[in-house]
Amino acid sequence: MIPDIISTKGLSKRYGSQFVLNDVSLNVKNEDIYGFLGQNGAGKTTTIKLLSGLLIPTNGEIIIDGMDMNNESRKIKKIIGLVPQDSSFYDNRDALSHMIYYGRLKGLTKKDASEQSNALLNKIGLKQAKDKTVGHFSHGMKKRLGIAQALLNNPRVLILDEPTNGLDPVGIRQIRELLRELNNDGITIFISSHNLLEIQEICNRVGIIDRGDMILEDSIDQIRHLESNGVITVGVYNLTPEIINLVGSLEFVVKTELKSKDILDVFVNYEEDAKPEINKLIVESGGRVFKLIENSLSLEDAFFNATKIRD
Amino acid sequence: MNLSETGVIAEDELLRGPKIKYLLSISGIFVFLCLLLIHYSTSLLSLFPFENGVNIPHYLISYLLVLVLAPFVVMVASYDFISNEMETGSIRYVISKIDRTSFILGKFLALFIVFTFVVSVIAVMGSIYAYFSGNALHIGETVLFWILSSLYLGCFVSIFLFISTLSENNKTSFLMSIVFIIILLFLFLQGYDNYLKYLTPYFYGIENIGIFRGSSHNVEFIKLLKNIFTMILYTTLFLSMSLSAIKRRDL
Repeated sequence: MIPDIISTKGLSKRYGSQFVLNDVSLNVKNEDIYGFLGQNGAGKTTTIKLLSGLLIPTNGEIIIDGMDMNNESRKIKKIIGLVPQDSSFYDNRDALSHMIYYGRLKGLTKKDASEQSNALLNKIGLKQAKDKTVGHFSHGMKKRLGIAQALLNNPRVLILDEPTNGLDPVGIRQIRELLRELNNDGITIFISSHNLLEIQEICNRVGIIDRGDMILEDSIDQIRHLESNGVITVGVYNLTPEIINLVGSLEFVVKTELKSKDILDVFVNYEEDAKPEINKLIVESGGRVFKLIENSLSLEDAFFNATKIRD
Repeated sequence: MNLSETGVIAEDELLRGPKIKYLLSISGIFVFLCLLLIHYSTSLLSLFPFENGVNIPHYLISYLLVLVLAPFVVMVASYDFISNEMETGSIRYVISKIDRTSFILGKFLALFIVFTFVVSVIAVMGSIYAYFSGNALHIGETVLFWILSSLYLGCFVSIFLFISTLSENNKTSFLMSIVFIIILLFLFLQGYDNYLKYLTPYFYGIENIGIFRGSSHNVEFIKLLKNIFTMILYTTLFLSMSLSAIKRRDL
């Protein structure tokens, strides 16, 4: 079993009397690309700030790589890299001096910090701009610098708060590819976003947060199925009302909908054996199946289903 | 606290900090003002009741300037040292890498070094000036001027750093600093019989003024040590409050 590198138990954050995060428990496995989804104001940034030690939790515990944030925050900070949502650098300083400064804060010597900074700026595509003051950087360049500084001293976990927000399609693609590459190098990635397509593209596991509550956490495939009430489109020659009734009586079938004289949409709760079961039943009832397609929902549909239930 | 992290923060602030040029400029003006007053100290002698008229008390003039004007210089230099990082959000990049304690101590160290350096320049220049104007060198006085002025300014650095740590933005920090300095002045001016004066660094600064009146044999060493100890305590107290405040803060 793959161990958890990040886990929280009963994590809560309250401002005044209002809970912005309520009893959140999440588990990120080693080398996951974990997508953290939620609408604006759902509690994504609050969770990320708690994971990186910027906020003090009201209740609950955060364990990263077996260390408790309450007691070993310094050690934890050395193995995580944070990319905050807003790229707030010192405008009067150049990219390289930022990198060296942050590298030294991460415990690198001046020489190592300088070497790593140059290598990372090169990797992230900022080699040409390394001596340019950050005040003159574009939004995309600042985002990339944000990622580069988080990679100093080879973190085990990279935490990114909406890293592609405000980037053009080329920039988004570059960052997506970079994240995949980093994950292949063994870095666990925790990425928050409300861009569901982006999460679907790169993540293997997902957590969905809604109004401060963690409502779902699983692999992307599982969530798509779990939340799908999936639709299986069945094409049957000589489709009779009896066959439709029989299919509708199956335990995992929610409802059936006749699309045309020989096409039937079967709405099912997620079930591994749904397709063979339906096929078997129709054939045994004298029908001839010419089409059987499972239309699994997109992550977007699954997300809306999951959050809609709570409204 | 981690010494290496504290050192990196202080070093960076001193060499590349966004305010360092500005800080050195106002410190430079302050040093120039002190030297100007030292130069004209002979003419200013009549303004003060000196115990002897032989040696020109160069340091008294500078020390008075440190007592009166330097707290405002320190305020202008340090009110936004933390609050600016909070306001811009740059603190998040730093605090996600190091301990909060190291951050505050590093900032304090940077400011304290700057003002200790400023005081050192005044002390050395004062000595040189005194020597070339035919006065005897008073090494003890120079060292005391340096120690007492540095500690006195250290108190104010820790006060304004604390206010900056509490503030969400620069504007709030500036207003709170002004209000606080007015309160300190008010408490100090309450009169000699009032215990409230003990709450202000002004009191401990002025208590030491006798040392620079040109009659070092009158120095009460117990009182001097007590004042030095109190100023260290004062600085430690405000620094501890800053550390406590930053540890509880959401960034």
